[in-house]
Amino acid sequence: MLYRSFVRYPGGDPRHPDRDYLVLSKGHGVMAQYACMREMGWLNDKEHIERYFGDGSDLMGLSDSRTPGLEVSSGSLGHGFSVGVGIAEGLRRRGTDQRVFAIVGDGELNEGPIWEGMLFASHNKLSNLMMIVDANGFQAMGRTDDVMELGSIRQKLESFGFETADVDGHDQGALETTIRTLIDSDSPRPKALVAKTIKGKGVPFMEHDNQWHYRHLSAQDYEASIEALRAEVAL
Amino acid sequence: MRSAFSAALTRLGRDNPDVLLITGDHGYALFDEFRTACPDQFINAGIAEQNMVGMAAGLARLGFRPFVYGLSAFVPIRVVEQIKMDIAHDDLPVVLLGDGAGFVYSHLGPSHQSAEDIACARSVPGLTVLSPGDRYEMTACMDLAYDLRGPVYMRMGKADRGEVHAGTLSPLVVGEPICVRSGPADAPALLATGAMLTTAVQLAEQHGPMAVWSVPSVKPLSTEAIAAISRSSSAIVVMEEHSVHGGLGAAVTEIVTEVEPCRVLRIGIQDRFSKHCGSYDYLLREHGLDLASVKERVDAFTATI
Repeated sequence: MLYRSFVRYPGGDPRHPDRDYLVLSKGHGVMAQYACMREMGWLNDKEHIERYFGDGSDLMGLSDSRTPGLEVSSGSLGHGFSVGVGIAEGLRRRGTDQRVFAIVGDGELNEGPIWEGMLFASHNKLSNLMMIVDANGFQAMGRTDDVMELGSIRQKLESFGFETADVDGHDQGALETTIRTLIDSDSPRPKALVAKTIKGKGVPFMEHDNQWHYRHLSAQDYEASIEALRAEVAL
Repeated sequence: MRSAFSAALTRLGRDNPDVLLITGDHGYALFDEFRTACPDQFINAGIAEQNMVGMAAGLARLGFRPFVYGLSAFVPIRVVEQIKMDIAHDDLPVVLLGDGAGFVYSHLGPSHQSAEDIACARSVPGLTVLSPGDRYEMTACMDLAYDLRGPVYMRMGKADRGEVHAGTLSPLVVGEPICVRSGPADAPALLATGAMLTTAVQLAEQHGPMAVWSVPSVKPLSTEAIAAISRSSSAIVVMEEHSVHGGLGAAVTEIVTEVEPCRVLRIGIQDRFSKHCGSYDYLLREHGLDLASVKERVDAFTATI
């Protein structure tokens, strides 16, 4: 949805100097981004997808900025957001209308530099920055509420000086409307969207089950997953 | 030395509007000249070094030339991972300035003293490590740091130890030590970096004829140049206000053991924190880095060769 409606790549070029920047700070989500990059024509099946994770593969398990389309090397959490804040500051200084969309995880919010970056973005009125929190409620060892309770993420971001909104992260229409509203706002504040999501969404045996943070799919699980996702898409 | 730093920074900023000075709320009066000349090129990132270094990477991606200033106890130590992944991984042209290296903050205690920065910085792939020894090396290092267009850490130690060179240096060649004075092949050669350079020159004057080399470029460090020094002297003495683990002494030892073996005496900070606080000269004495202590060790070492 971000690629379809918001992130602008002149000429479809992932390295175009006038592009918007989609910064995946939660680098663990890079597989979803690879799928989008394939649709954008930046990855091909033979060189990239079929060799994924194989010896000598360019596509790493975490986001690596040497691959066109990926803006930061993330995975060590709490890094990408600061780089995104720096890009937003640079774009502001250049006086362009380019934007930065920075996707962070709710677990990643444990990391201190995220909050340092929010202070800077707010103080310097980086209205060209949109932070998108993927709030799936889980992190490596369990529920975020059990590991490091965040309370209301939106209230915290609001108190850090962001213009904020909540949305169902699986409702594409609501996502599009909410992001559009934030972008069209005249406020000089940086923007933040808290997208409530379900980890493993669309595959009933994965939803809300954190063991799938780690597990490999068996052939049987794979078939069942694809079938469930096909049914979900058909709805 | 600090005025040479300020002048070089201001000149680079004035000549190139893409130069940005980013500080983690440090430097106060040091940046008056820069802020007057280039007010729009100054960013105070607050007391938030991790975000500061990440942001510098973002700004460098857009073509800016960030000079990131902090105390060397924090930049690079606190932010080694940001330097590694956000800057060095993509070979971005960011110059990291670590001030107060060694025992400059002698009264403040170990939190502000910095003996580990070269060791950490040396292990980051592609990161150049510079360490000027007087005002002329400072100017030359700033120019080199700008011209390299890659990731650089520049260590800034005690700034008022006097001048070693007679005047403006020709442009530095990265990796190459500078010969300060030549010496005979049957005496050890002194290699020093940063604030220990003036002590090395004083030592050579007291000790008798010895070659003295300044090493403003700690990494990379020319294998050929170090091998040549090894061949043309009876031994090597390395002097630095840094841990004996992982600093210039280690770098020299690594090279000579591979290509031109010789005895190496590493004079630096032993594997311990400062026990007390006091003046800078007191701290040097406590750690055996004052001229008298160094001379004693070098004399004893020379007697064994």
